[in-house]
Amino acid sequence: MIGTLANAAPYVGYVYPNETDIPWSVLIVIYPYITGLVAGAFIVSSLYHVFGMNQFKPVARFALLTAVSFMFFVPMPLLFHLGNPQRAFNAVLTPHWTSAMSAFSYVAGFYVCLLLLEIWFAFRADIVALSKAKSGLQGRIYRLLSLGSDDVSPASLAIDHRFATALAIIGIPAAGGLHGYVGFLFGSVKAREWWSSDLMPIIFLLSAIVSGIGLLVVLYVAYSKKRKVPASEQALMGLAKTLWAFLLVVLLIEGLELLEMFYKRLEGIDTVERLIEGPIRYGMVLQWGCSIGVLGLLTVLIVSKARGRTLVAGMTVSGIAMMIGVVAMRWNVVIGGQELSKTSKGLLIYYPEILGHEGLLAVAFIFLCPFVVLWLITRFLSPWEVEAGKEVSP
Amino acid sequence: MPKHIVRLMILVAVVAAAAVGAKAYFTDKSYYRYGHYRGDSVAEIAGDSPRFRGNAYCKSCHQKQYAAWESSPHNNPAAGKHVRCEVCHGPVGQHPSSVATPLSFDERIALGGHAAVLTDKSAASGSLSQPKDRTQCIQCHEAMPGRPAAQRQVALASHSGMAACNSCHDPHEPKINFSELPRPAQGNPVLGKTLAAQCAACHGPDGHSVNPEWPNLASQHAGYLLKSLQAFKAGTRTNEMMSGMAAGLSDADMENLSAYFSKEGCKRVAGDQALASLGKARSATCALCHGAAGVGGNPSWPNLAGQNVSYLTASLKSFRSGSRSHPVMTSVAKTLSDDDIDRLAAFYASANCK
Amino acid sequence: MDRLDKEKMPKAANALRRNFLRTVGIGAACAGTWVSKTLPAASSPQEAPIPNIPGYDWRKHKWAFGVDATRCIGCLRCVEACKAENGVTRDAHHFRTWVERYVYLKGDDHAHVDSQSEPGNIAASGSEQAFRFDNRYQDAPVEKAFFVPKLCNHCTHPACVQVCPTGATYQTRDGVVLIDHSYCIGCQYCVQACPYGAREFNHTMGVTDKCTWCYHRITKGLQPACVEVCPVEARVFGDRNDPESPISQFIKNNRVSVLKPHTGNAPNVFYVGIDKEVS
Repeated sequence: MIGTLANAAPYVGYVYPNETDIPWSVLIVIYPYITGLVAGAFIVSSLYHVFGMNQFKPVARFALLTAVSFMFFVPMPLLFHLGNPQRAFNAVLTPHWTSAMSAFSYVAGFYVCLLLLEIWFAFRADIVALSKAKSGLQGRIYRLLSLGSDDVSPASLAIDHRFATALAIIGIPAAGGLHGYVGFLFGSVKAREWWSSDLMPIIFLLSAIVSGIGLLVVLYVAYSKKRKVPASEQALMGLAKTLWAFLLVVLLIEGLELLEMFYKRLEGIDTVERLIEGPIRYGMVLQWGCSIGVLGLLTVLIVSKARGRTLVAGMTVSGIAMMIGVVAMRWNVVIGGQELSKTSKGLLIYYPEILGHEGLLAVAFIFLCPFVVLWLITRFLSPWEVEAGKEVSP
Repeated sequence: MPKHIVRLMILVAVVAAAAVGAKAYFTDKSYYRYGHYRGDSVAEIAGDSPRFRGNAYCKSCHQKQYAAWESSPHNNPAAGKHVRCEVCHGPVGQHPSSVATPLSFDERIALGGHAAVLTDKSAASGSLSQPKDRTQCIQCHEAMPGRPAAQRQVALASHSGMAACNSCHDPHEPKINFSELPRPAQGNPVLGKTLAAQCAACHGPDGHSVNPEWPNLASQHAGYLLKSLQAFKAGTRTNEMMSGMAAGLSDADMENLSAYFSKEGCKRVAGDQALASLGKARSATCALCHGAAGVGGNPSWPNLAGQNVSYLTASLKSFRSGSRSHPVMTSVAKTLSDDDIDRLAAFYASANCK
Repeated sequence: MDRLDKEKMPKAANALRRNFLRTVGIGAACAGTWVSKTLPAASSPQEAPIPNIPGYDWRKHKWAFGVDATRCIGCLRCVEACKAENGVTRDAHHFRTWVERYVYLKGDDHAHVDSQSEPGNIAASGSEQAFRFDNRYQDAPVEKAFFVPKLCNHCTHPACVQVCPTGATYQTRDGVVLIDHSYCIGCQYCVQACPYGAREFNHTMGVTDKCTWCYHRITKGLQPACVEVCPVEARVFGDRNDPESPISQFIKNNRVSVLKPHTGNAPNVFYVGIDKEVS
């Protein structure tokens, strides 16, 4: 078999011959990124559902739908990346439990079920109402979803509420587990110096939350504009404070990790320095620039008690910057870790393909999908407050 | 419990049961037999056919080459050297079965004769013959920092020009036994001249043969002449005339004769000029030892310039056939065709021997 | 795990029985008899099935590999033989085994390292189908230079097997790490996890590939292809269960080391004549 590796990675120094075929492409950058958005969005909904933080009530149900829309597409980059995607179910049939990856289908599957149930309880009253209001195919779908029960008595709604709260409580460790698990997936690879860190799960989890809050802010502002309804200042300020707190912790932990690494100067540190100055230089600038910039902007917004257009504009900028900063962070970890040779004597340089099933176009397509699905779901089940009356259904 | 909760629980239970059932149904039967993997895969992997099949397989047909190799430095287990057949020739694979060669050996001989079999080097024939240029040998023998000192290495630029290695070395038996090659002789030419009378009948009084079948001796290297006489006397080289003549010579006689003839002046022998120019083109290999114009720098090896055409031709053919043997010439002569020999003989006969 | 434990049990049972009899004495002979009768009977393993490989019993072997870097001449016959024997992708980015060259120039602290797939060496061989080292150091002030063959270490605690989500890669009873190419999903997590860069991805089949120590050869009594073609005995292979085997002698007669011991992988490829820079 004669092989021609079109996109063999160029390198400097010495790398093992097989390393020039970089195993995990840009698809695996987008995978933890999408997972992280789910975790972040879910945490916001839990702040209301579990902790009763009422300032998040306007976005709580929307956050749930956002989480599930992105969750549907978490396996997509993985399936695109597999050499034999048709065998993906082997990992479900015979999960090898010493492998973090074997847990993926179970953790993700459990989490999807949890999200669907939580959404079902949160929206059941709406579904029952719609099953009565709609006729034809739409009506039949709503009736199917209501499981043939139109019981919306206060007693049964109270039971629903208890179930929803219980699910939300389970959901917090599940979301944390889901993303901590993704961090573990990388952090447990002792062969990769740049990944093999005990802090990796916690860094992944916290950065997931900040990216998810960023996404939620951007989507909430966009939906409000579209609905011609002013975004809730209370909700935005709540999101600003939450984002600020999580971001501060992320920056501290990431900073401390780098500090320790450079202070200890273990074998191979000069190659790590060359990695940061070289292949992932722009990624590092984006990651740290965005994070520190957003932290500063949020501080100003919070201290000045910003309101109205200033708050909306400031939060939109923060949300977008946060999403860019975290995608850069994912790149720096996933790609950077593979650009640092296992020989610790060399650096590879990864250039993503444009076309092809592991190319940038595939990534753009996968990343667009959850937005489309979210749009479809919100047309089907409006997450906005019932009190607004006319907005119950499209 | 409200109706919708009950129904939801039934739904969840049905899905879970279906999942467990599907898992049991789709899991391979040999899975978990020896551990967390498909047990049958072990025997499947072990069942692949080897492509490298070892020396014994080669030996069954190529006995002559095997015998040469077996006693050569390429097979020296005591020194940890094992240059087995497939190291140079590559994996035997299915050679020479019907997979590698669509026709059987007999069929190919029937169709095109032996020549067709021997000259068919196409990949489809499953031929394992190796390139005759340097690329093969230098993989191990190019002098290179990093190679252990015990490894035989040659500096490519200064070793034998850029000639193919097998010009001198038989790859199956690469060692050239230089102790068997002639050494320069020290004799007395004056004493030799008196002895030379018995040679004159055939080789002429001054070493120029009366019959082109016999070699000219004038100006030949003394070391070569001495070694030749010694070989005739010892019987390692035979000739109906020379074996008898040499038998009556003492060691001193041979030294003196060699000294005498080596000092005599030589003459150019006329040869076919057209053939000679073709011969010159084929002489690069010979030039390594015998000099560019047939006068070698090494006194142990014969000058060829001015030698008789018939003698040169006969000598090369006897090397080629094996009736005369020499560590280098035997393998060199095998690379020559009849035409090559005629051309080379014409070239050296007409070359200036001064 | 279950299987291994079962096999260890008769030994444990015997030890227990011996200790018991020794300490308790004649008075407890009855109890001893009872223990000796019941314990082994209860734990006696049913004859575990073995893979159906003609003439081969994997319970009788424990394979290991040796590399003597002081003998390697860098001829790369092993690399080409491996590709031919195992159908490894024929380019400069996929290898089950490879050879590294370490060169220290006078006055340098660090080695200059390259392998056969380095562009200069590919230029020397003329294509990615054949391999040879170029002679770039022939006129350089070389202080020390040597070649180091590399391959899968068939670790006792293989990180690649640990991370495989499906069990497509596994360790056999006789100590070889294999891949079930018909079960591998092609996630390449094992490629990431191997500290030695020994795994490569076959893009045509969509599965990871690796050295098997030529499992199809060693189970037929042959040597791995790379060992078969090594002209200088730089590669040694054999059975640790046989004290006279080449590898047992190699380990006994040399001070051997392994690569990257700190990973805890416990490699089963043993090296002689390597140097601080080799990892």
